[in-house]
Parts: sequence; structure tokens; C-alpha cells
Amino acid sequence: MPADIALPRVAAAKSRRGAPGDFIFLHLTFLFALLVLLILGGVIVALIDGALPALRYFGGAFLYTDVWNPVTEKFGALAPIFGTLVTSAIAMVVGIPVAFGVAMFITEICPIWLKRPLATMIELLAAIPSIIYGIWGLFVFAPFVQQYIQPAIIDSLGNVPGIGALFAGPPLGIGVLTAGFILAIMVLPFISSIMRDVFETVPPMLKESAYGLGATRTEVVLQVVLPYTRIGVVGGIMLGLGRALGETMAVTFVIGNAHRISASILQPGTTISAALANEFTEAVGDLYLSSLVALGLILFFITFIVLAFAKLMLLRLQKRAGG
Amino acid sequence: MAIYTRRRLINASVMALAMTATGFGLLWLVLVLWTLLWNGIGAITPALFSQMTPPPGSAGGLLNAIFGSVVMTLIATLIGTPTGILAGTFLAEYSRGSRFGELVRFINDILLSAPSIIVGLFVYELMVVRMGHFSAWAGAVALAIIVVPVVVRTTEDMLNLVPNALREAAAALGSPKWKVIVMVAYRAAIQGMVTGVMLAVARIAGETAPLLFTALNNQFWSTNLNAPMANLPVVIFQFAMSPYADWQVLAWGGALLITITVLFLNIGARALASWSTFKQ
Amino acid sequence: MSPATARQAMPLAPPAASDEHAQSPAHQKVLIRDVDFYYGAFKALKSITLPLHDKRVTAFVGPSGCGKSTLLRVLNRIYELYPGQRAIGEVIVDGENILAPGLDLNLLRARIGMVFQKPTPFPMSIYDNVAFGIRLYERLPNHELDDRVESALRRAALWDEVKDKLRQSGLGLSGGQQQRLCIARAVAVQPEILLLDEPASALDPISTQRIEELIAELKEDYCIAIVTHNMQQAARSSDYTAFMYLGELIEFDETERIFTHPKQKHTEDYITGRFG
Repeated sequence: MPADIALPRVAAAKSRRGAPGDFIFLHLTFLFALLVLLILGGVIVALIDGALPALRYFGGAFLYTDVWNPVTEKFGALAPIFGTLVTSAIAMVVGIPVAFGVAMFITEICPIWLKRPLATMIELLAAIPSIIYGIWGLFVFAPFVQQYIQPAIIDSLGNVPGIGALFAGPPLGIGVLTAGFILAIMVLPFISSIMRDVFETVPPMLKESAYGLGATRTEVVLQVVLPYTRIGVVGGIMLGLGRALGETMAVTFVIGNAHRISASILQPGTTISAALANEFTEAVGDLYLSSLVALGLILFFITFIVLAFAKLMLLRLQKRAGG
Repeated sequence: MAIYTRRRLINASVMALAMTATGFGLLWLVLVLWTLLWNGIGAITPALFSQMTPPPGSAGGLLNAIFGSVVMTLIATLIGTPTGILAGTFLAEYSRGSRFGELVRFINDILLSAPSIIVGLFVYELMVVRMGHFSAWAGAVALAIIVVPVVVRTTEDMLNLVPNALREAAAALGSPKWKVIVMVAYRAAIQGMVTGVMLAVARIAGETAPLLFTALNNQFWSTNLNAPMANLPVVIFQFAMSPYADWQVLAWGGALLITITVLFLNIGARALASWSTFKQ
Repeated sequence: MSPATARQAMPLAPPAASDEHAQSPAHQKVLIRDVDFYYGAFKALKSITLPLHDKRVTAFVGPSGCGKSTLLRVLNRIYELYPGQRAIGEVIVDGENILAPGLDLNLLRARIGMVFQKPTPFPMSIYDNVAFGIRLYERLPNHELDDRVESALRRAALWDEVKDKLRQSGLGLSGGQQQRLCIARAVAVQPEILLLDEPASALDPISTQRIEELIAELKEDYCIAIVTHNMQQAARSSDYTAFMYLGELIEFDETERIFTHPKQKHTEDYITGRFG
């Protein structure tokens, strides 16, 4: 045995001391994990605290009144809520099919060498900051829409009885439709990325069995892959929706900031986040400020529910896949 | 035969649609980046980096805004990264299956996707109202709150990838748990964790909403963290929405700067991630 | 084949001088007594009793799932890292029961070295790998640390191959070299007992042979317990063999005796390959 050292032999390794380092580190990491919960708790408390005056003053009517008058100090959240929901809906209608097409292409169709670079490029769409979309939307996209797209829509669909009202009004470029469309571009990488991940979890043997029976690619994707992954797909969609609901800067630039509800999606409107971005620093009067915070509380509430739902869906898929 | 032909037709059209969708997505990427370059390159002059934001109708630069953004991003990273790493460590190393751990993970993922303007509102109530004024500190804290969930998630994911056999080998040598984590697990996961931090920084580099009601803006050069501080995103917001051509040009320039930084960090993070997996 | 019968068939006293090599007389280093082990509600080890002799190699053999790795992992209480796993009974090392509560596990593990199935080099330099365990408990001046690292690497028959690249990452070595690095790392802290969990199963035949040669040298200084599913390896390398099946100890004897005249039919069936 090599030279002896003053280390206790096994027999003497009895001691009740635990390493103080372990105690400190465990509690340190615990504390910071707790902090994450506290941040969320703090957000809820701060929002409620700030919103309470307005909510108490207006009561439940705040949620469904369509008025926003800083002068007479009458505020109602209906227009922003409506705008938030409609722009997000447009984003989903446009974004989901495109995201699905992208996910399908990347996972099933494109050659192997193209997968990584293509996926990276689509993900770069998500990396571009919101304000860049905003400034691009205002200076490039909106004029384009105003010159070409909107007149085309008005001419074709504006005269159709019934849904014509959806497309009425002068072509302004900015407005609910434009904002919704830009939102679609912004959320499609998120939805597509999750779809891609869940599509990859389908066991190859399952797909091979379908191909082996002579199914076409489309049939395999629509009838095998999609049903297998539908929980994850729904989760991904909900995540995209959560993002769309909370998106601020891109929308603020192109929505037109008009506190009103119109049937036509070609008209300007406002969303909760756009209203906050535009008016918060200019707001005078406690009731005005409090009403804005109340808007924030409503937005938080909506996105929290959507995101929690998305997370639960994705957790269920994880459990099912054994992950 | 007719059925088969129809199936093939459907297949071909769906494939074509999928390809179109991908092209559609890529098209917007190219368009946005191209117009950004086109409009912003003219503003990239030495003056941009040496002069302050000007009053409307005159020429100037973005120095104070660049400085403010760098400072607040730096502080936010310094606050948010250790917080995120420690919380993520707790989730990966100490909370196996515990309800508390699941709750933290759940809440963290919600914070990850929460509207950043809500974070701004929160810090406004928490700090700006208390302090009585806007400040760069408040802006940095708001950005830090956005950094934390990103770093928590990547830290936990990276630590979970470290094989248990490595931890057992360290424990079998008599290493206390915290040393197993700090000296072995962290080292094994370091590349992934750095990638996570880079992605978090890329995220906050372009965030506007959280700064709107916290750091606000400052027309002049200021190094006072206790006062409103200029920053690129809010300056872009203000200048772009204005009717002044000079300001709009500067806005494009600032937008280009931010985008280059963000893309650089993103691509750099990915390169780092794939280089490390390649190395092993 | 019941535990009681198996125990009766076991010699607890060292055999008479029937060894081929002139070894020092064997004395008992570890006594495992009536050990049960549970993974949650599943009883993986049932009343295991057997000795481990100092300066000898004891092999645990048996088909997959028989509990041999589980038993090995009881000896340094590495299972305590995982909730829901527990051991009942006694493991007496030099007179002390190491399964007793209140024992400092880190100190215990510093005295018992373990090498795993897959090589587990730490993501640091070769030097730092070997020095890792030493640095945990000793403060040595640099030249002394250098000496200890060199001596450990020599014992692991790795010194000549790495002496010029001590500062390079341990991950850059081949599989066989990495495993010898792990052995060097384990012996660097000068343990009294070495636990080897199928150390060569992930290696090519040449590396395996070198590891076996290494074990033959190492046993001159340590009490070694080795888990192996390779019976020929057990026959070649060990002095004592414990045959386990479904969590029970079926037979324990000197290796030579167990492979030529096994007392239990079950043992004979396994050794002759009737089941695996």
C-alpha cells in the first residue's frame, strides 16, 4: 500500500456532520426557485393592486363597455379586448395552416441536408424582435397592403352580401387585418417548431407500416402523424395563441390605435397591449392609469389561461411518450 | 384507377402547398431582412455611433441609446443569469418529482411566454411608483425578469442531459453533492448553459415593451442609473412613429443594429451548440 | 437452494493454503450479513450473507437481474442518491457496520472506490480527473499532488500513454484508456476496497485483457469486488465467486472449487450455460 495519509479508515468514518456546503447550496437554489414563483405572484398582486380602483369604480361593466374617453374619464375595455381577440384570431387562421405546411415540409418532404438550415431560418423569424416587425409593417407592409391587397379584397369580397361588411371601408393600409397578418408571421415559427418536435416523436415504424400499405405521404401525415400528435399540436397552437395575444410592438405600429369596434377588419382598432404601449406614459389621472392597468390585468388573465392550457396539453403528450 | 389518380393528385397538391407554405415563411424573412438592410444601411455612419439622439428636424446619432441598451442589457444579464442558473439547478438536481418542482417548472414556462408588456407594468408598480421616477435600474430589472425563465429552462434542460453515471462517479469518490453539481455537472453542461444565456440576451436586446414604462427614454447622454436612460428600442418606437424624416432614418439604423446583434447572437448560439455536440 | 441451505454451503473462514500463488493469508475485510434491498416495494436482494476477503478478488456472477450490481452498490451506499431505494441488514467493514444511520457517506465513499460499466471521465483534463478525489480531502503542495497523480496513473497502467498530455481533456482518450483513467481516479484516493461494476463490458477484447491484468496487480493491495456477466472472466480473475439468482445468493466458494465442483445444481446449470 502506498505511503499512508492521515485519512480516517472506514471504521472511523462515523460522524453526524453533513457537509455545510450541501446545506447552503440546497437552500440557495431552493430560494431562487421560490423566487420564480414569487415573481409570478408579484405580477398578479401588482396588477390587481393597480387595477382595483378602476374595477371598483366601473364594476363588471368595464369588461363589456365600449367607451374610452380620457376627458370624461369613462373607460371600458370592450374595444381593446375585441381587438386583441380578433387580431389573434386572424393570426391563427393564417398562421396555423402555414405553420403546419412548414412543419410537414421540414419533417417529411425536404431532403436531409436541407432540414437543419431550413429549420434555423424559420426559427430566425421568431428571433426578429417585435419592434422590427412593427417598423417594417408601418413603412413597408402597410403601404403595400393599402395599394394592392386591400383594394383587391374590397373589390372582390366587399360586394358579397353578408360577409361584405367584414371588408368594408376605405383602404388605409393599417388596421386590424394588417396587424393580424403580421402577428401570423410572428407566431408561425413558434407553432411550426412545436409541430416539428411532436411530428418527430412519431415512431418510424408506425409511419413505415402506413407507407408499406401503399399510402401516399399526404395520407400518412394526415391520417397517421396528425392523429398521433394531436395533443401536442393543440398545445403548440395554444402557445402560438398565447404569444399572439400578448404581442405589443408590432401591433402598436400598424393597428391604428382607434378605440372602437368595427365589423370590418380593414378598419383600425386597438388591442390591450397596443393601448398600453401608446397611452400609458401619457395618461394623467388616477382613473385613467388604473383603467390601463386593469387592461393589463385582463390581458394577463387571458394569456395565463391560454398558456396554462397549452402547457397542460404538452405535458400530457410528454407523459404519453414516456418522456 | 380513378381513385388512385385522385389520391396521387391530392398528394401532389398537398406537397405543393407545404412547399408553398415554407416558401411563404421564408419569403417574409427575406423581405423583412432585406427592407431592413435597404432602409437602415444609409444610417450606418460614424455619426450614428458618436452623436446623441437629436431634437426633431436635425441630424444626430444614437450613441446615448446604444449605451443605454448595452448597460441595461448587461445589468439584466448579470442579475438574471445567476438567478436563472440557480433556480434551474434546483429543478434539475434537487426536485426530482416533487410537487414544488413541478409547480415552479409550470410557472416558469408560463412566465417564458408571458406578454413582456405585463412585465413592464409589474416593474412600474414595483419600482417606478415606489421610487417616484423612471430609472435605468427599473428597466434592467424588467429585462432581468425576462431573462430568468429562459435561463431556468435551458439550465434545467442541459443539466438533465448530463448522464447520471457521471454524478455517481463523483459521489463514489466521496464528493459532497454540491461539489458534484458545481464541479462536474456544471462543467459537463457548460456549453449548453452558455448557449441559453446567449439566447436570453438576444431576446432582451430587442425588447421594447418592458422598457416603455420603466427606463422610459432620455434625449441626452446620461450615465445615471437612477434616472430615465435612452435605449434603442424605445428610441426607435418614438422616432419611427414620428413624422420627421431624420428621425425615421435613425429609427431604421437603430433597427438594423438591433437585428444584426440579435441574429449574430442567435446564430452564434446555435453554432456553439452544434460544435459542442460535434466535439463529443 | 433456499438461502439457509446456501449459507450452510459457504465457507466463512479462509481456505487452507491451497492457493497457487504465494499470497498473504486471507483475512476477512467485509462481512455482508442478512442484507435485503428494496427498489420501492420490490425486494431485489434477499438475505444476502457473504464475506469479502482483503487482498483478494471476489466476483459476483449471475444472469441479468439477479441483483449482483445492486449488491455491489450497497457496499458504498451509492444507492442513497436515489429516493425509494433502501438496504436493510449489516455490512461490517473492519468491525463497523457501514449501513448504520448517522454515518458520513462522503467519508465512507472516499475509502471505497468504484469503477462503473461505462467509462465516466469528468469533463476536465486527465490530471484534474485523477486529482479530483485527492483534492476533495487533502491539501497537498503541487509536487506532492503531481507524485500522487503519477503514481495512480502508473498503477492503472496508463502513465506511459498519457504522461505527455496530462493537461488534455480526459474525453479525448480511447474507451479502454478512459476506463483505466477511471481506475486511476479511483485508486488515487488510496481506498481500502475497490468495487468494479462490469468494468470491461464496454471495451474491446484487448482493452479487456489489459484491465484483467490490472486487476491481478491491484489485488495485491486492495480488497476487490467485481461484478461480471462474463464467467470466463470470473474464472480467470477472481479468487472467490458468488453466484446469485433472482436476488438470492445461491452459492459462494473459492473460484476454483465453484467452477469445477459446484455444490448447487443451479450453479452448475449456469456455469455450464444451461441458462443465461
